[in-house]
Amino acid sequence: MIVPVTFHIPGALREFTAGRSKVVVEQSPASLAEALSVLWTLYPGVRDRIATEQGQVREHINIFVGDENSRYTGGLATPIPPGAAISIVPAVSGGCGISRRLVNSKNRLRTVVILRQLAASKAYLRR
Amino acid sequence: MIGQVLGRCRVLAKIGEGGMGTVYRAYDEGLHRDVAVKVVRKDAALGPSASKNLLHEARASSSLSHPNICTIYDVGETDGELYIVMELVEGKSLRDLSADGGLAPESVMRYGAQIAGALARAHDRGIVHRDLKTANIVVTSEGLVKVLDFGLAKTVGGGIFEGPTRSFASIENASSVSGTLPYMAPEILRGDSADYRSDLWALGVVLYEAASGRLPFQGRTGFEISSAIMREMPTALGPPVPPGLWAIIQRCLTKEPMQRYQRASEVQAALEAVQSAAIVSKDSGTDVSPPTTTMLHSVRHAQVKRGDFLLLVGTTKGAFIVRSNAQRSRWDVGGPYFHGHNVYAMAYDARGGRHRIWASTQSYWGTLLRSSDDFGKSWTNPRQAPIRFPSDAGVSLKNIWQIAPGRPEEPDVLYCGVEPAALFESRDAGETWSLVRGLFDHPHRPRWVPGNGGLALHTIVLDPTNAQRMYVAISSGGVYKTNDGGTSWTAQNRGVRAMFMPDKYPEFGQCVHKIALHPAHPERLFLQNHWGLYRSDNAAESWIDIANGVPSDFGFAMIVHPKNPGSVYIVPVESDEFRCACDGRLRVYRTRNAGASWEPLLRGLPQKRAYETVLRDAMTADSLDPTGIYFGTRSGQLFGSRDEGRTWHKILEGLPSVVCVRCAVYEDSSGDGQPALSKSAPSTATRSKSLSASKSHSASQTHKSRPTRKR
Repeated sequence: MIVPVTFHIPGALREFTAGRSKVVVEQSPASLAEALSVLWTLYPGVRDRIATEQGQVREHINIFVGDENSRYTGGLATPIPPGAAISIVPAVSGGCGISRRLVNSKNRLRTVVILRQLAASKAYLRR
Repeated sequence: MIGQVLGRCRVLAKIGEGGMGTVYRAYDEGLHRDVAVKVVRKDAALGPSASKNLLHEARASSSLSHPNICTIYDVGETDGELYIVMELVEGKSLRDLSADGGLAPESVMRYGAQIAGALARAHDRGIVHRDLKTANIVVTSEGLVKVLDFGLAKTVGGGIFEGPTRSFASIENASSVSGTLPYMAPEILRGDSADYRSDLWALGVVLYEAASGRLPFQGRTGFEISSAIMREMPTALGPPVPPGLWAIIQRCLTKEPMQRYQRASEVQAALEAVQSAAIVSKDSGTDVSPPTTTMLHSVRHAQVKRGDFLLLVGTTKGAFIVRSNAQRSRWDVGGPYFHGHNVYAMAYDARGGRHRIWASTQSYWGTLLRSSDDFGKSWTNPRQAPIRFPSDAGVSLKNIWQIAPGRPEEPDVLYCGVEPAALFESRDAGETWSLVRGLFDHPHRPRWVPGNGGLALHTIVLDPTNAQRMYVAISSGGVYKTNDGGTSWTAQNRGVRAMFMPDKYPEFGQCVHKIALHPAHPERLFLQNHWGLYRSDNAAESWIDIANGVPSDFGFAMIVHPKNPGSVYIVPVESDEFRCACDGRLRVYRTRNAGASWEPLLRGLPQKRAYETVLRDAMTADSLDPTGIYFGTRSGQLFGSRDEGRTWHKILEGLPSVVCVRCAVYEDSSGDGQPALSKSAPSTATRSKSLSASKSHSASQTHKSRPTRKR
């Protein structure tokens, strides 16, 4: 059975998704790369806004799978659980129609990221 | 007629007849190929001037080379009869193919994208079809679409109820009313003249007809048809027509031309998108109607009229269009466009009858090249970034630093200088772009280093007298020149000092901030370096110091006076550590003797606590008389002088940091009131604007503070 994956689209990109803030993909992509390729087959204009021409996610764009920033969970190889919510979020942006839920989860995440960065820098100093 | 020779074509057989004349199959005995020859009927109501016009139109259309356009090879006249020699196209007309209830949506999209591609090419050349209809479109047995009779409709048939052209694809069509009226856009029925958007309306009718087998606007009389076109909405097309295709057709069939697609290439892209979406998402029912033009309703627009003068101002938070008339004393501001985006480069392209503003935008979402044909009311928002590095280049576009229209005699050529340092070129008026490999693959490139603003190719200077010669300036790489149209490039930095390098006079690696030349002296160039002011008298082969009496030879902006080749303007800044006007006094410096001496121009400019910087593309000169000079500052002030710099006045303040200033004159046309269509050669003023655009580029970012000292 296919449990659809849902993309949350920020305001700046809705021009390219026929105005939709949510895009439901009736497929079971295994990885974030697969999920994104489905999204931009449906809405080609989204692709170049999210990724560079070399296929990397743009520096200031974060893609969350559930509550996790994919930058820290394997990048484009991040596995997509069935029914996942995928959110595209420009860094340091407000507005743009990000849901409350996501803002909250982002705050939680920010703490996690800072802790991880601290741990990493300590590990670096110890070397 | 059979057996007769027209020009070098022997007429073989009649293949059709229409309102305008007869079409024959013929054999071109010079080039040994089969051709079609259309002989215009003597009684086709053509006066001598109309005949001349038809010849002119046919000649203009013969310049169109596109796989989906039936090529016109030749035109001529024998015994008072006009004839047009064209590509022989064998196939079925789209009208015949769709007559039986319409084609499969996949075919409609496939054919539609090809028709739109043909229109895009023609529109860019300023040619409007004016009589697009399913009868004028032939599909060959290989599925290739050919659009016939480009641009021929204008001169034949004055009244709207006449079928202007007949082709051998539509010979069975006897009634001229049904032949053309149903494809006419509301604005034509209102009496306005046809422009490229009327073709897009006709394309909407063609797509509707192809998808359904019936016309969207019908009636028993011409009056009923016209009234349906003016007032009624077409019956919606449901399955099997996908919602995305229906959305595209609807947008083509919007009564108000401004609300339609603004370019054929947008329709093409939309059709291709629906095609690809249809393959994957058969069951998702997703509505795809990708808008590739952004209409800006909430932004204040400058109301631009013919004869107006414009300043295009790019800032770190968006673009502004500042309008005045030839007096240049009162200003009206449109914008900000691209709210919050960096706009490093702007340009005005008045070649080929256009009045197109270009802008580069950079944000989190990437860097795009965009354009507006209506002075900012709407802008392209391309789905795919038009400028992109190929995958083997291994780098991604960061920013576009300069947009340079090509020479006046190559109206479809454009260049962009980008970061990371590279040159891109377009030969189809900006539709498609390619990386100039000769420069990108240069063995020096891996050793170019970024300045503070990044590693950018920021200046492009074309030699107006030598189509093969071009200069580019790279920070930090130096000046490079090509003498063979971009295939090979050589570093041209002899005599230019690199303060920050162990070898002070290296072959390349200089941090050049700006170069400029005057078209009347193409061998002579001026250069503002990161420390150093130079002139070359031998096409950049070597450079001599000309910092004679300037308070600092550090600076960014540099322009040449459009009329006086020896007059150059710069705005010195104190040092690379303190990039502000010397002593807090904002002064432009001018030489009138090619650098032998410099004088300050300061009347009207702030002389106290004015710690301003004028970035490399933030100064420009206009083509009016007397010449106006304009510049913007990092603190967001915009200054102008109407008397070549003697006195200055503040045009605006409170803008975001200004990185680019360009000017434009929306030409008064003596033509037919169709700016986008005029085929005349660029006027003097247009020409001088193009030249100044390619010469007086000057914006930018700063460079790493290096421990250097002024000499």
